[in-house]
Amino acid sequence: MPAYHSVFLEEPNQHLIGNFALLPLRTRTRGPALQLPALPSDITDLTIDASHESYDPLDEVISLFRANTFFRNFEIKGPADRVLIYGILFVSEVLSKIKPSMSKREAEKSVLNIALDTNFAIPGDAGFPLNQAFEAPADRQQAETLRQYIMQMRQELANRMLNRVYADGTGVPSKWWLSFTKRKFMGKAL
Amino acid sequence: MASHTPAVVMDNGTGYSKLGFAGNDSPSFVFPTAIATKSAGGGAGGSGSGRPAVANKPSFLTGGAGPGGHLSGKRGTEDLDFFIGDEALSAAGGPGYGIHYPIRHGQIDDWDLMERFWSNSIFKYLRVEPEDHHFLLTEPPLNPPENRENTAEIMFESFNCAGLYIAVQAVLALAASWTSSKVQDRSLTGTVIDSGAGVTHVIPVAEGYVIGSSIKSVPIAGRDITNFVQSLLRDRGEPDSSLQTAERIKEEYCYVSPDIVKEFSRFDRESDDRFKKHKVTYPNGKSVEVDVGYERFLAPEIFFNPEIYSSDFLTPLPTIVDTVIQTSPIDVRRGLYKNIVLSGGSTLYKDFGRRLQRDIRHLVDARIKASEAKSGGAKSGGLDVQVITHKRQRHGPWFGGSLLGQTPEFRSYCHTKAEYDEIGPSIVRRFALLGGPGST
Repeated sequence: MPAYHSVFLEEPNQHLIGNFALLPLRTRTRGPALQLPALPSDITDLTIDASHESYDPLDEVISLFRANTFFRNFEIKGPADRVLIYGILFVSEVLSKIKPSMSKREAEKSVLNIALDTNFAIPGDAGFPLNQAFEAPADRQQAETLRQYIMQMRQELANRMLNRVYADGTGVPSKWWLSFTKRKFMGKAL
Repeated sequence: MASHTPAVVMDNGTGYSKLGFAGNDSPSFVFPTAIATKSAGGGAGGSGSGRPAVANKPSFLTGGAGPGGHLSGKRGTEDLDFFIGDEALSAAGGPGYGIHYPIRHGQIDDWDLMERFWSNSIFKYLRVEPEDHHFLLTEPPLNPPENRENTAEIMFESFNCAGLYIAVQAVLALAASWTSSKVQDRSLTGTVIDSGAGVTHVIPVAEGYVIGSSIKSVPIAGRDITNFVQSLLRDRGEPDSSLQTAERIKEEYCYVSPDIVKEFSRFDRESDDRFKKHKVTYPNGKSVEVDVGYERFLAPEIFFNPEIYSSDFLTPLPTIVDTVIQTSPIDVRRGLYKNIVLSGGSTLYKDFGRRLQRDIRHLVDARIKASEAKSGGAKSGGLDVQVITHKRQRHGPWFGGSLLGQTPEFRSYCHTKAEYDEIGPSIVRRFALLGGPGST
């Protein structure tokens, strides 16, 4: 059984830029992503099921992250898998910014710092690590949309990860999450 | 008189030797197949070999003589100065002794040391007179007949044992599974998955005979699981991440999960239940607590997803088992799928058998579906995949030997000392099949 793939591969009417899917997200950050309804009160991040209407690719990224980081080989089966790859690599980056000694406040500062930074590589840029697998956007306008969408992913992922890592309320980051900082999914890092 | 003594069952493996008497339900002795000798000590070096004897013994015993003593040296009693098993390990810890492992990759590597190992096993541990007992020894699959002859030479000529039977470990492991309630017919057809410390073998057996051309081995076994647990402990920076701790955690807390992603989210939801604490106590009385987390299900997962641990071996165990059966003769495949038997310490994880059965069944069902589609309308009757988990897995081959060694007809299957004297060592090239068709 190889690494896990996205459940959004079969999603109809995907909006593609290059070969990256702009899937709807459940987020309040501003950007081009279609919005999914917020979670109802009886469901949390932890209990949401993949068949729920509010389940978004970022929920999937966080749930598959720990399993998939153990794998070095990953066969990309479609545009939704690229969203998953980007998300997993970004989660790795977020975790690498959190040090065991940081309080939630300090961690927030350093993580949001990278999440809000607009100067990051998107597919097609020279600094992007996975250009063999990702196509560059067709024109500048598309590139701008893609950048904004990825920006939304980054901010939302950063927020959700901070909540996960500091879930127990002790103000100390979870060592269970931090133990994954050394592993590299597909041997790559952003 | 000899007719009332129980047979002696000895299963000498690469890692551990299991010794005991037929009819018992567990071996009397289990210790490492290791021997510590004085002369030409492996790691100890020449300079250490004589000195400790002088230091340890009062001078009136050595007669004040130099290293080794002048008389005992000439009589060759240093031949008798050795330890086996756990004693060997502790003796090798001190100076003067070198440790040797006479069995490598399941086969006897050093016959002289093995003879000494056996002599101590028989006289010091089991304390029996070999003249009065029949012996049941085990051998790995594909053991060359010359090795059997050497074994017989030692057993008959050095020890003068009453009778000898040499059985293949995989066949004995099949016999051990007869204790499971899932086994209805006591057949000797099945696939044995034998996973010990160093290597995992998948061995197809048809009616008591090993199908040698289809055997496959997997370089993932107990030691790799321990190493993987250790690397996970180190990633987290646990206060104690020694191999011993990793091994204890592996043995006490690990289990096989149906799906690792689901198991991760289960740990998130039921964290109080799932995360454990392991207390390590040191000889000096201090102790530390080590958290035990995802390694509980990730460690045995390397059998099913080797990729998470190794970068050069990627085939999951269920796929290997399926290949082994598919390369066996077509008329025994059904029997091989129906009776997949586990043996060895690394198969003891909870739900190991269930997961293996599920994964193999998926592979088989997918293939049947594909061929049904190709045939255009033909329906398959289906194929029964069954993995047998039983209570004797840990010492499977030994227990199978104990089971067969206590049957009344066991003695008639053995070669006796008289037969050996008449025909010579080549007699042990063939044994009638114990527990096979025709016997009760």
